[in-house]
Amino acid sequence: MSPVETSVSTQKRRHSLALTVGLLLVGINLAVALLTLFWTPYDPLNASGGRLEAPSLLHWLGTDRLGRDLLTQLMIGARTALLVGTGAVAIGAAIGVSLGVVAAFATRLADDVMAATLDILIAFPTLLLAMLVVAASDSASLWTAILALGLAISAIVARLTRILAKRVLRQDYIVASRTSGTSWAGVVFRHVLPNIWPTLSVNFALQFGLAVIAEASLSYLGLGAPPPNASWGRLLQEAQGTVYTAPIGAIAPGIALVALVIGMNLLADGLRDIADPTRGRSR
Amino acid sequence: MTALLDIRGLTIRAGDKPLVSDLSFAIRPGERIGLIGESGSGKSMTAMAATGLLPPSISATGSIELDGRQVVGATDKVMNRLRGVAAAVVFQEPLTALDPLMKIGRQIAEPVRRRMERDGGKASKEAVNREVRDLIDKVALPQPDRIINSYPHEVSGGQRQRVAIAMALACRPKLLIADEPTTALDVTTQAEILKLLDRLVRETGMALLFISHDLPVVAQVVERVIVLKNGIAIEEGPVGSVFGKPHHDYTKTLVGAARLFDEALGTTGS
Repeated sequence: MSPVETSVSTQKRRHSLALTVGLLLVGINLAVALLTLFWTPYDPLNASGGRLEAPSLLHWLGTDRLGRDLLTQLMIGARTALLVGTGAVAIGAAIGVSLGVVAAFATRLADDVMAATLDILIAFPTLLLAMLVVAASDSASLWTAILALGLAISAIVARLTRILAKRVLRQDYIVASRTSGTSWAGVVFRHVLPNIWPTLSVNFALQFGLAVIAEASLSYLGLGAPPPNASWGRLLQEAQGTVYTAPIGAIAPGIALVALVIGMNLLADGLRDIADPTRGRSR
Repeated sequence: MTALLDIRGLTIRAGDKPLVSDLSFAIRPGERIGLIGESGSGKSMTAMAATGLLPPSISATGSIELDGRQVVGATDKVMNRLRGVAAAVVFQEPLTALDPLMKIGRQIAEPVRRRMERDGGKASKEAVNREVRDLIDKVALPQPDRIINSYPHEVSGGQRQRVAIAMALACRPKLLIADEPTTALDVTTQAEILKLLDRLVRETGMALLFISHDLPVVAQVVERVIVLKNGIAIEEGPVGSVFGKPHHDYTKTLVGAARLFDEALGTTGS
Protein backbone atom coordinates (compact mmCIF):
# COMPACT_ATOMS: atom_id res chain seq x y z
CA MET A 1 0.00 0.00 0.00
CA SER A 2 1.42 3.36 -0.97
CA PRO A 3 1.79 6.10 1.66
CA VAL A 4 -0.92 8.15 -0.02
CA GLU A 5 -3.46 5.38 0.30
CA THR A 6 -2.55 4.88 3.94
CA SER A 7 -3.09 8.51 4.82
CA VAL A 8 -6.41 8.57 2.99
CA SER A 9 -7.70 5.54 4.83
CA THR A 10 -6.55 6.81 8.24
CA GLN A 11 -8.22 10.09 7.51
CA LYS A 12 -11.43 8.34 6.63
CA ARG A 13 -11.33 6.31 9.81
CA ARG A 14 -10.69 9.42 11.88
CA HIS A 15 -13.68 11.15 10.32
CA SER A 16 -16.01 8.27 10.92
CA LEU A 17 -14.72 8.01 14.51
CA ALA A 18 -15.48 11.71 15.03
CA LEU A 19 -18.97 11.15 13.71
CA THR A 20 -19.55 8.11 15.94
CA VAL A 21 -18.34 9.82 19.11
CA GLY A 22 -20.26 12.98 18.25
CA LEU A 23 -23.46 11.04 17.58
CA LEU A 24 -22.98 9.13 20.83
CA LEU A 25 -22.47 12.24 22.99
CA VAL A 26 -25.29 14.23 21.42
CA GLY A 27 -27.51 11.12 21.29
CA ILE A 28 -27.08 10.41 25.01
CA ASN A 29 -27.88 14.02 25.75
CA LEU A 30 -30.98 13.94 23.58
CA ALA A 31 -32.15 10.63 25.09
CA VAL A 32 -31.73 11.96 28.62
CA ALA A 33 -33.53 15.18 27.72
CA LEU A 34 -36.47 13.25 26.24
CA LEU A 35 -36.53 10.93 29.24
CA THR A 36 -37.00 13.83 31.66
CA LEU A 37 -40.27 14.67 29.93
CA PHE A 38 -41.71 11.42 31.31
CA TRP A 39 -39.56 10.35 34.20
CA THR A 40 -36.89 11.65 36.54
CA PRO A 41 -35.26 9.71 39.40
CA TYR A 42 -36.66 12.14 41.95
CA ASP A 43 -38.89 15.18 42.16
CA PRO A 44 -36.67 17.99 40.83
CA LEU A 45 -38.31 20.67 42.99
CA ASN A 46 -38.39 19.05 46.40
CA ALA A 47 -35.81 17.64 48.76
CA SER A 48 -35.41 13.91 48.49
CA GLY A 49 -32.55 13.42 50.95
CA GLY A 50 -30.25 15.19 53.34
CA ARG A 51 -28.34 18.35 52.36
CA LEU A 52 -25.15 17.90 50.35
CA GLU A 53 -25.15 14.13 50.53
CA ALA A 54 -22.21 12.36 48.93
CA PRO A 55 -22.90 10.11 45.92
CA SER A 56 -24.60 6.88 46.95
CA LEU A 57 -26.71 4.14 45.43
CA LEU A 58 -29.84 6.16 46.20
CA HIS A 59 -28.44 9.44 44.87
CA TRP A 60 -25.84 8.62 42.21
CA LEU A 61 -24.46 12.13 42.19
CA GLY A 62 -25.45 13.10 45.71
CA THR A 63 -27.73 16.00 46.64
CA ASP A 64 -27.48 19.78 46.54
CA ARG A 65 -27.71 22.37 49.33
CA LEU A 66 -31.47 21.99 49.51
CA GLY A 67 -31.36 18.20 49.53
CA ARG A 68 -32.52 17.81 45.92
CA ASP A 69 -31.16 14.96 43.84
CA LEU A 70 -28.30 16.28 41.69
CA LEU A 71 -28.69 13.67 38.92
CA THR A 72 -32.29 14.79 38.43
CA GLN A 73 -31.18 18.42 38.16
CA LEU A 74 -28.45 17.48 35.73
CA MET A 75 -30.87 15.55 33.53
CA ILE A 76 -33.28 18.45 33.35
CA GLY A 77 -30.31 20.68 32.62
CA ALA A 78 -29.66 18.57 29.51
CA ARG A 79 -33.17 19.40 28.31
CA THR A 80 -32.61 23.11 28.89
CA ALA A 81 -29.27 23.04 27.10
CA LEU A 82 -30.68 21.29 24.01
CA LEU A 83 -33.67 23.61 23.92
CA VAL A 84 -31.47 26.69 24.12
CA GLY A 85 -29.01 25.41 21.53
CA THR A 86 -31.68 24.32 19.05
CA GLY A 87 -33.83 27.40 19.57
CA ALA A 88 -30.99 29.87 19.31
CA VAL A 89 -29.51 28.23 16.20
CA ALA A 90 -32.95 27.99 14.56
CA ILE A 91 -33.59 31.70 15.10
CA GLY A 92 -30.04 32.58 14.10
CA ALA A 93 -30.23 30.44 10.96
CA ALA A 94 -33.62 31.75 9.85
CA ILE A 95 -32.65 35.41 10.20
CA GLY A 96 -28.97 34.99 9.31
CA VAL A 97 -29.33 32.95 6.14
CA SER A 98 -32.10 35.19 4.77
CA LEU A 99 -30.13 38.37 5.49
CA GLY A 100 -26.93 36.86 4.11
CA VAL A 101 -28.52 35.79 0.83
CA VAL A 102 -30.18 39.20 0.43
CA ALA A 103 -26.83 40.90 1.09
CA ALA A 104 -25.15 38.70 -1.52
CA PHE A 105 -27.61 39.98 -4.13
CA ALA A 106 -27.79 43.57 -2.89
CA THR A 107 -26.35 46.56 -4.72
CA ARG A 108 -22.86 47.67 -3.79
CA LEU A 109 -24.05 50.36 -1.37
CA ALA A 110 -26.69 48.25 0.40
CA ASP A 111 -24.20 45.42 0.65
CA ASP A 112 -21.56 47.65 2.21
CA VAL A 113 -24.06 49.01 4.73
CA MET A 114 -25.18 45.52 5.66
CA ALA A 115 -21.63 44.22 5.95
CA ALA A 116 -20.62 47.11 8.20
CA THR A 117 -23.70 46.67 10.39
CA LEU A 118 -23.01 42.97 10.76
CA ASP A 119 -19.37 43.63 11.62
CA ILE A 120 -20.45 46.02 14.38
CA LEU A 121 -22.97 43.51 15.70
CA ILE A 122 -20.36 40.75 15.71
CA ALA A 123 -17.78 42.98 17.41
CA PHE A 124 -20.31 43.45 20.22
CA PRO A 125 -19.79 40.60 22.74
CA THR A 126 -22.51 37.96 22.40
CA LEU A 127 -22.95 37.62 26.12
CA LEU A 128 -23.29 41.37 26.61
CA LEU A 129 -25.89 41.55 23.84
CA ALA A 130 -27.79 38.66 25.39
CA MET A 131 -27.64 40.32 28.83
CA LEU A 132 -29.00 43.55 27.35
CA VAL A 133 -31.94 41.78 25.72
CA VAL A 134 -32.68 39.76 28.86
CA ALA A 135 -32.38 42.83 31.09
CA ALA A 136 -34.62 44.85 28.79
CA SER A 137 -37.43 42.29 28.89
CA ASP A 138 -39.85 42.43 31.87
CA SER A 139 -39.10 38.99 33.20
CA ALA A 140 -36.12 36.78 32.63
CA SER A 141 -37.30 33.61 30.98
CA LEU A 142 -35.75 30.85 28.98
CA TRP A 143 -37.28 32.31 25.83
CA THR A 144 -35.72 35.74 26.19
CA ALA A 145 -32.36 34.03 26.59
CA ILE A 146 -32.98 31.95 23.46
CA LEU A 147 -34.11 34.98 21.48
CA ALA A 148 -31.11 37.01 22.62
CA LEU A 149 -28.64 34.29 21.69
CA GLY A 150 -30.46 33.69 18.41
CA LEU A 151 -30.08 37.34 17.45
CA ALA A 152 -26.38 37.30 18.27
CA ILE A 153 -25.91 34.13 16.22
CA SER A 154 -27.87 35.55 13.28
CA ALA A 155 -25.25 38.26 12.75
CA ILE A 156 -22.46 35.69 12.53
CA VAL A 157 -24.50 33.41 10.26
CA ALA A 158 -25.50 36.33 8.03
CA ARG A 159 -21.91 37.37 7.48
CA LEU A 160 -20.83 33.84 6.70
CA THR A 161 -23.79 33.24 4.38
CA ARG A 162 -23.09 36.48 2.54
CA ILE A 163 -19.49 35.54 1.81
CA LEU A 164 -20.28 31.93 0.90
CA ALA A 165 -23.22 32.91 -1.32
CA LYS A 166 -21.13 35.53 -3.11
CA ARG A 167 -18.49 32.95 -3.84
CA VAL A 168 -21.03 30.50 -5.23
CA LEU A 169 -22.69 33.21 -7.32
CA ARG A 170 -19.39 33.86 -9.10
CA GLN A 171 -19.14 30.23 -10.25
CA ASP A 172 -19.56 29.29 -13.89
CA TYR A 173 -22.39 26.90 -13.19
CA ILE A 174 -24.51 29.79 -11.95
CA VAL A 175 -24.04 31.56 -15.29
CA ALA A 176 -24.66 28.25 -17.05
CA SER A 177 -27.84 27.74 -15.08
CA ARG A 178 -28.94 31.31 -15.79
CA THR A 179 -28.41 30.89 -19.54
CA SER A 180 -30.89 28.03 -19.49
CA GLY A 181 -33.47 30.31 -17.93
CA THR A 182 -33.26 29.63 -14.17
CA SER A 183 -34.69 32.52 -12.17
CA TRP A 184 -32.73 34.04 -9.29
CA ALA A 185 -35.01 32.30 -6.80
CA GLY A 186 -34.29 29.01 -8.54
CA VAL A 187 -30.57 29.72 -8.39
CA VAL A 188 -30.78 30.37 -4.64
CA PHE A 189 -32.73 27.22 -3.79
CA ARG A 190 -31.19 24.79 -6.31
CA HIS A 191 -27.58 25.92 -6.31
CA VAL A 192 -26.62 28.47 -3.66
CA LEU A 193 -28.19 26.93 -0.55
CA PRO A 194 -27.13 23.33 -1.29
CA ASN A 195 -23.60 24.49 -2.03
CA ILE A 196 -23.16 26.59 1.09
CA TRP A 197 -24.96 24.09 3.32
CA PRO A 198 -21.90 21.92 4.20
CA THR A 199 -20.00 24.94 5.53
CA LEU A 200 -23.08 26.47 7.15
CA SER A 201 -24.06 23.30 8.98
CA VAL A 202 -20.63 23.06 10.57
CA ASN A 203 -20.99 26.65 11.68
CA PHE A 204 -24.46 25.95 13.07
CA ALA A 205 -23.05 23.16 15.21
CA LEU A 206 -20.29 25.47 16.41
CA GLN A 207 -22.86 28.16 17.26
CA PHE A 208 -24.95 25.52 19.00
CA GLY A 209 -22.05 24.77 21.33
CA LEU A 210 -21.40 28.46 21.93
CA ALA A 211 -25.10 29.06 22.65
CA VAL A 212 -25.13 26.26 25.22
CA ILE A 213 -22.09 27.79 26.92
CA ALA A 214 -23.56 31.29 26.71
CA GLU A 215 -26.80 30.10 28.28
CA ALA A 216 -24.81 28.49 31.10
CA SER A 217 -23.04 31.81 31.60
CA LEU A 218 -26.32 33.73 31.64
CA SER A 219 -27.79 31.29 34.13
CA TYR A 220 -24.67 31.50 36.20
CA LEU A 221 -25.21 35.24 36.37
CA GLY A 222 -28.86 34.73 37.23
CA LEU A 223 -30.08 36.03 33.83
CA GLY A 224 -30.99 32.71 32.26
CA ALA A 225 -33.78 30.29 32.85
CA PRO A 226 -35.41 31.11 36.19
CA PRO A 227 -36.26 28.30 38.65
CA PRO A 228 -37.78 25.75 38.43
CA ASN A 229 -35.96 25.23 35.09
CA ALA A 230 -32.72 23.59 36.01
CA SER A 231 -29.76 24.76 34.01
CA TRP A 232 -26.17 23.60 34.11
CA GLY A 233 -25.09 27.20 34.53
CA ARG A 234 -27.25 27.62 37.61
CA LEU A 235 -26.09 24.29 39.02
CA LEU A 236 -22.51 25.53 38.68
CA GLN A 237 -23.40 28.79 40.38
CA GLU A 238 -25.20 27.01 43.22
CA ALA A 239 -22.26 24.65 43.69
CA GLN A 240 -19.84 27.56 43.90
CA GLY A 241 -20.09 28.00 47.66
CA THR A 242 -19.61 24.35 48.43
CA VAL A 243 -17.03 23.47 45.80
CA TYR A 244 -14.52 22.28 48.42
CA THR A 245 -16.93 20.26 50.53
CA ALA A 246 -18.97 18.77 47.66
CA PRO A 247 -16.92 19.14 44.43
CA ILE A 248 -19.20 16.75 42.51
CA GLY A 249 -21.80 19.54 42.39
CA ALA A 250 -19.48 21.59 40.14
CA ILE A 251 -17.74 18.75 38.35
CA ALA A 252 -20.88 16.96 37.11
CA PRO A 253 -22.55 19.90 35.28
CA GLY A 254 -19.13 20.99 34.01
CA ILE A 255 -18.52 17.61 32.41
CA ALA A 256 -22.04 17.49 31.01
CA LEU A 257 -21.56 20.92 29.42
CA VAL A 258 -18.20 20.06 27.88
CA ALA A 259 -19.43 16.67 26.64
CA LEU A 260 -22.38 18.19 24.79
CA VAL A 261 -20.30 20.95 23.18
CA ILE A 262 -17.54 18.57 22.10
CA GLY A 263 -20.10 16.06 20.87
CA MET A 264 -21.81 18.72 18.78
CA ASN A 265 -18.54 19.83 17.20
CA LEU A 266 -17.51 16.27 16.37
CA LEU A 267 -20.93 15.62 14.89
CA ALA A 268 -20.59 18.72 12.72
CA ASP A 269 -17.21 17.56 11.46
CA GLY A 270 -18.57 14.15 10.55
CA LEU A 271 -21.68 15.58 8.93
CA ARG A 272 -19.68 17.88 6.69
CA ASP A 273 -17.91 14.92 5.15
CA ILE A 274 -21.25 13.33 4.35
CA ALA A 275 -22.84 16.53 3.09
CA ASP A 276 -20.02 17.25 0.64
CA PRO A 277 -19.69 14.44 -1.92
CA THR A 278 -16.47 15.88 -3.35
CA ARG A 279 -14.65 15.35 -0.07
CA GLY A 280 -13.22 12.08 1.14
CA ARG A 281 -14.60 10.04 -1.76
CA SER A 282 -12.35 7.84 -3.76
CA ARG A 283 -11.37 9.38 -7.05
CA MET B 1 -36.30 35.69 -43.37
CA THR B 2 -35.87 37.52 -40.08
CA ALA B 3 -32.70 36.93 -38.16
CA LEU B 4 -32.69 34.87 -34.97
CA LEU B 5 -29.91 36.92 -33.49
CA ASP B 6 -29.41 40.38 -34.89
CA ILE B 7 -26.53 42.36 -33.43
CA ARG B 8 -26.14 45.95 -34.60
CA GLY B 9 -23.48 48.41 -33.51
CA LEU B 10 -22.74 46.49 -30.34
CA THR B 11 -20.16 48.13 -28.10
CA ILE B 12 -19.19 46.55 -24.81
CA ARG B 13 -17.19 48.47 -22.25
CA ALA B 14 -15.56 47.68 -18.95
CA GLY B 15 -15.38 51.12 -17.42
CA ASP B 16 -13.79 53.26 -20.16
CA LYS B 17 -12.04 50.42 -21.90
CA PRO B 18 -13.94 49.11 -24.94
CA LEU B 19 -13.93 45.30 -25.15
CA VAL B 20 -16.02 45.12 -28.31
CA SER B 21 -16.45 48.05 -30.71
CA ASP B 22 -19.31 48.55 -33.12
CA LEU B 23 -19.86 44.88 -33.87
CA SER B 24 -22.69 43.92 -36.22
CA PHE B 25 -23.75 40.51 -37.47
CA ALA B 26 -26.85 38.42 -37.80
CA ILE B 27 -27.66 34.73 -37.53
CA ARG B 28 -30.65 33.34 -39.41
CA PRO B 29 -32.52 30.27 -38.15
CA GLY B 30 -30.50 27.13 -38.82
CA GLU B 31 -27.38 29.05 -39.79
CA ARG B 32 -23.97 28.08 -38.38
CA ILE B 33 -21.57 30.90 -37.69
CA GLY B 34 -18.10 30.94 -36.15
CA LEU B 35 -16.72 33.79 -34.09
CA ILE B 36 -12.93 33.64 -34.16
CA GLY B 37 -10.24 35.54 -32.36
CA GLU B 38 -7.48 35.19 -29.82
CA SER B 39 -8.27 35.30 -26.12
CA GLY B 40 -9.29 38.75 -24.98
CA SER B 41 -10.72 39.67 -28.37
CA GLY B 42 -14.24 39.97 -26.96
CA LYS B 43 -15.74 36.74 -28.28
CA SER B 44 -17.12 35.47 -25.00
CA MET B 45 -18.32 38.93 -23.99
CA THR B 46 -20.36 39.06 -27.18
CA ALA B 47 -21.97 35.72 -26.29
CA MET B 48 -22.71 36.85 -22.75
CA ALA B 49 -24.20 40.08 -24.06
CA ALA B 50 -26.45 38.11 -26.42
CA THR B 51 -28.01 36.30 -23.46
CA GLY B 52 -28.06 39.43 -21.30
CA LEU B 53 -25.65 37.97 -18.77
CA LEU B 54 -22.84 40.50 -18.73
CA PRO B 55 -21.38 41.12 -15.27
CA PRO B 56 -22.78 44.29 -13.66
CA SER B 57 -19.45 46.11 -14.08
CA ILE B 58 -19.57 45.68 -17.86
CA SER B 59 -22.00 47.66 -19.97
CA ALA B 60 -23.31 47.11 -23.48
CA THR B 61 -24.67 49.69 -25.92
CA GLY B 62 -26.12 49.22 -29.37
CA SER B 63 -28.79 46.76 -30.33
CA ILE B 64 -29.05 43.01 -29.80
CA GLU B 65 -32.26 41.41 -30.97
CA LEU B 66 -32.70 37.83 -29.90
CA ASP B 67 -35.70 36.10 -31.45
CA GLY B 68 -37.23 39.50 -32.20
CA ARG B 69 -36.79 40.94 -28.73
CA GLN B 70 -34.36 43.60 -27.59
CA VAL B 71 -31.77 42.27 -25.13
CA VAL B 72 -29.82 45.44 -24.33
CA GLY B 73 -31.46 47.00 -21.30
CA ALA B 74 -34.05 44.23 -20.98
CA THR B 75 -35.25 43.28 -17.51
CA ASP B 76 -34.41 39.94 -15.98
CA LYS B 77 -38.02 38.85 -16.27
CA VAL B 78 -38.06 39.36 -20.02
CA MET B 79 -34.66 37.72 -20.41
CA ASN B 80 -35.61 34.67 -18.35
CA ARG B 81 -38.33 33.92 -20.88
CA LEU B 82 -35.80 34.15 -23.71
CA ARG B 83 -32.97 32.23 -22.09
CA GLY B 84 -33.10 28.59 -22.93
CA VAL B 85 -35.99 29.20 -25.33
CA ALA B 86 -34.26 31.39 -27.87
CA ALA B 87 -30.67 30.57 -26.98
CA ALA B 88 -28.75 28.15 -24.79
CA VAL B 89 -25.04 28.15 -24.06
CA VAL B 90 -22.36 25.47 -23.76
CA PHE B 91 -19.30 26.71 -21.91
CA GLN B 92 -15.59 26.12 -22.18
CA GLU B 93 -14.88 24.52 -18.85
CA PRO B 94 -17.24 21.58 -18.36
CA LEU B 95 -16.26 20.98 -14.73
CA THR B 96 -17.06 24.45 -13.44
CA ALA B 97 -20.18 24.72 -15.59
CA LEU B 98 -21.86 21.95 -13.60
CA ASP B 99 -23.02 22.26 -10.00
CA PRO B 100 -20.54 20.09 -8.05
CA LEU B 101 -23.11 19.09 -5.41
CA MET B 102 -25.96 18.08 -7.72
CA LYS B 103 -26.25 14.68 -9.33
CA ILE B 104 -26.02 14.81 -13.12
CA GLY B 105 -29.49 13.35 -13.62
CA ARG B 106 -31.01 16.16 -11.59
CA GLN B 107 -28.98 18.81 -13.39
CA ILE B 108 -30.29 17.69 -16.75
CA ALA B 109 -33.81 17.31 -15.34
CA GLU B 110 -33.94 20.99 -14.28
CA PRO B 111 -34.06 22.53 -17.79
CA VAL B 112 -36.20 19.60 -19.02
CA ARG B 113 -38.85 20.31 -16.39
CA ARG B 114 -38.73 24.02 -17.07
CA ARG B 115 -39.23 23.50 -20.79
CA MET B 116 -42.13 21.09 -20.24
CA GLU B 117 -43.85 23.57 -17.95
CA ARG B 118 -43.15 26.35 -20.42
CA ASP B 119 -44.78 24.35 -23.21
CA GLY B 120 -47.92 24.23 -21.12
CA GLY B 121 -47.73 20.55 -20.29
CA LYS B 122 -47.50 19.14 -16.82
CA ALA B 123 -44.01 17.87 -16.06
CA SER B 124 -44.64 14.49 -14.51
CA LYS B 125 -41.71 12.72 -12.94
CA GLU B 126 -41.86 9.87 -15.45
CA ALA B 127 -41.98 12.21 -18.44
CA VAL B 128 -39.00 14.18 -17.15
CA ASN B 129 -37.01 11.02 -16.45
CA ARG B 130 -37.81 9.64 -19.89
CA GLU B 131 -36.65 12.87 -21.50
CA VAL B 132 -33.45 12.91 -19.43
CA ARG B 133 -32.62 9.38 -20.61
CA ASP B 134 -33.45 10.40 -24.15
CA LEU B 135 -31.04 13.32 -23.95
CA ILE B 136 -28.29 11.18 -22.43
CA ASP B 137 -28.84 8.84 -25.33
CA LYS B 138 -28.69 11.69 -27.84
CA VAL B 139 -25.33 12.95 -26.61
CA ALA B 140 -24.05 9.34 -26.65
CA LEU B 141 -23.18 9.07 -22.97
CA PRO B 142 -22.41 5.50 -21.95
CA GLN B 143 -23.94 3.76 -18.92
CA PRO B 144 -26.88 6.12 -18.43
CA ASP B 145 -27.76 4.63 -15.04
CA ARG B 146 -24.34 5.35 -13.63
CA ILE B 147 -24.16 8.84 -15.18
CA ILE B 148 -27.55 9.87 -13.82
CA ASN B 149 -26.50 9.00 -10.28
CA SER B 150 -23.00 10.45 -10.51
CA TYR B 151 -21.69 13.79 -9.35
CA PRO B 152 -19.79 15.86 -11.94
CA HIS B 153 -16.39 15.08 -10.42
CA GLU B 154 -17.02 11.38 -10.88
CA VAL B 155 -17.14 11.43 -14.70
CA SER B 156 -14.52 12.36 -17.29
CA GLY B 157 -14.05 15.78 -18.90
CA GLY B 158 -15.49 14.68 -22.24
CA GLN B 159 -18.49 13.15 -20.50
CA ARG B 160 -19.03 16.35 -18.52
CA GLN B 161 -19.09 18.34 -21.75
CA ARG B 162 -21.65 15.90 -23.16
CA VAL B 163 -23.73 16.49 -20.02
CA ALA B 164 -23.45 20.25 -20.56
CA ILE B 165 -24.56 19.81 -24.18
CA ALA B 166 -27.47 17.64 -23.04
CA MET B 167 -28.51 20.41 -20.63
CA ALA B 168 -28.40 22.98 -23.43
CA LEU B 169 -30.41 20.66 -25.72
CA ALA B 170 -32.96 20.09 -22.96
CA CYS B 171 -34.12 23.66 -23.49
CA ARG B 172 -34.70 22.97 -27.22
CA PRO B 173 -33.21 26.36 -28.10
CA LYS B 174 -33.43 27.97 -31.52
CA LEU B 175 -29.82 29.08 -31.19
CA LEU B 176 -26.99 27.16 -29.54
CA ILE B 177 -24.08 29.29 -28.41
CA ALA B 178 -20.98 27.17 -27.97
CA ASP B 179 -18.29 29.15 -26.17
CA GLU B 180 -14.98 27.33 -26.78
CA PRO B 181 -16.68 24.00 -26.07
CA THR B 182 -13.65 21.89 -26.99
CA THR B 183 -10.77 23.99 -25.67
CA ALA B 184 -10.53 22.25 -22.30
CA LEU B 185 -10.54 18.79 -23.86
CA ASP B 186 -7.83 16.61 -25.34
CA VAL B 187 -7.61 16.24 -29.12
CA THR B 188 -9.42 12.90 -29.42
CA THR B 189 -12.27 14.01 -27.19
CA GLN B 190 -12.35 17.31 -29.07
CA ALA B 191 -13.02 15.53 -32.33
CA GLU B 192 -15.81 13.47 -30.77
CA ILE B 193 -17.52 16.48 -29.23
CA LEU B 194 -17.27 18.38 -32.52
CA LYS B 195 -18.83 15.47 -34.38
CA LEU B 196 -21.56 15.32 -31.79
CA LEU B 197 -22.29 19.05 -31.99
CA ASP B 198 -22.28 18.93 -35.78
CA ARG B 199 -24.72 15.99 -35.80
CA LEU B 200 -27.04 17.54 -33.21
CA VAL B 201 -27.16 20.90 -34.95
CA ARG B 202 -28.03 19.22 -38.25
CA GLU B 203 -30.63 16.92 -36.66
CA THR B 204 -32.46 19.58 -34.67
CA GLY B 205 -32.03 22.36 -37.21
CA MET B 206 -30.97 24.89 -34.60
CA ALA B 207 -28.67 27.75 -35.38
CA LEU B 208 -25.14 27.67 -34.02
CA LEU B 209 -22.83 30.41 -32.84
CA PHE B 210 -19.49 28.71 -32.39
CA ILE B 211 -16.88 30.69 -30.52
CA SER B 212 -13.27 29.57 -30.74
CA HIS B 213 -9.69 30.63 -31.23
CA ASP B 214 -8.98 27.39 -33.05
CA LEU B 215 -9.34 27.75 -36.82
CA PRO B 216 -9.44 24.05 -37.83
CA VAL B 217 -12.04 23.38 -35.15
CA VAL B 218 -14.25 26.21 -36.35
CA ALA B 219 -13.88 25.19 -39.97
CA GLN B 220 -15.32 21.77 -39.19
CA VAL B 221 -18.69 22.93 -37.93
CA VAL B 222 -19.63 26.32 -39.38
CA GLU B 223 -20.50 27.82 -42.75
CA ARG B 224 -19.57 31.44 -42.17
CA VAL B 225 -16.94 33.03 -39.93
CA ILE B 226 -16.36 36.40 -38.35
CA VAL B 227 -12.79 37.23 -37.32
CA LEU B 228 -12.52 39.43 -34.25
CA LYS B 229 -9.45 41.33 -33.18
CA ASN B 230 -9.39 43.62 -30.13
CA GLY B 231 -13.16 43.74 -30.23
CA ILE B 232 -13.36 44.78 -33.89
CA ALA B 233 -14.67 42.54 -36.67
CA ILE B 234 -11.95 42.60 -39.28
CA GLU B 235 -13.08 39.97 -41.70
CA GLU B 236 -16.27 38.10 -42.45
CA GLY B 237 -17.39 35.56 -44.99
CA PRO B 238 -17.83 31.89 -45.89
CA VAL B 239 -15.31 29.54 -44.27
CA GLY B 240 -13.68 28.58 -47.56
CA SER B 241 -12.92 32.08 -48.75
CA VAL B 242 -11.86 33.54 -45.43
CA PHE B 243 -9.47 30.70 -44.67
CA GLY B 244 -8.50 30.05 -48.30
CA LYS B 245 -7.87 33.67 -49.30
CA PRO B 246 -7.62 35.76 -46.17
CA HIS B 247 -7.56 39.51 -46.86
CA HIS B 248 -6.62 40.95 -43.56
CA ASP B 249 -3.08 40.55 -42.22
CA TYR B 250 -4.34 39.32 -38.90
CA THR B 251 -6.39 36.56 -40.50
CA LYS B 252 -3.36 35.62 -42.58
CA THR B 253 -1.30 35.30 -39.41
CA LEU B 254 -3.98 33.15 -37.77
CA VAL B 255 -4.25 30.89 -40.81
CA GLY B 256 -0.49 30.74 -41.10
CA ALA B 257 -0.08 29.86 -37.45
CA ALA B 258 -2.66 27.09 -37.72
CA ARG B 259 -0.93 25.72 -40.82
CA LEU B 260 2.49 25.79 -39.16
CA PHE B 261 1.06 23.99 -36.15
CA ASP B 262 -0.48 21.32 -38.33
CA GLU B 263 2.73 20.85 -40.25
CA ALA B 264 4.66 20.56 -36.99
CA LEU B 265 2.28 17.81 -35.98
CA GLY B 266 2.71 16.11 -39.31
CA THR B 267 -0.95 16.29 -40.18
CA THR B 268 -2.84 18.37 -42.67
CA GLY B 269 -5.70 19.26 -40.37
CA SER B 270 -9.05 19.59 -41.98
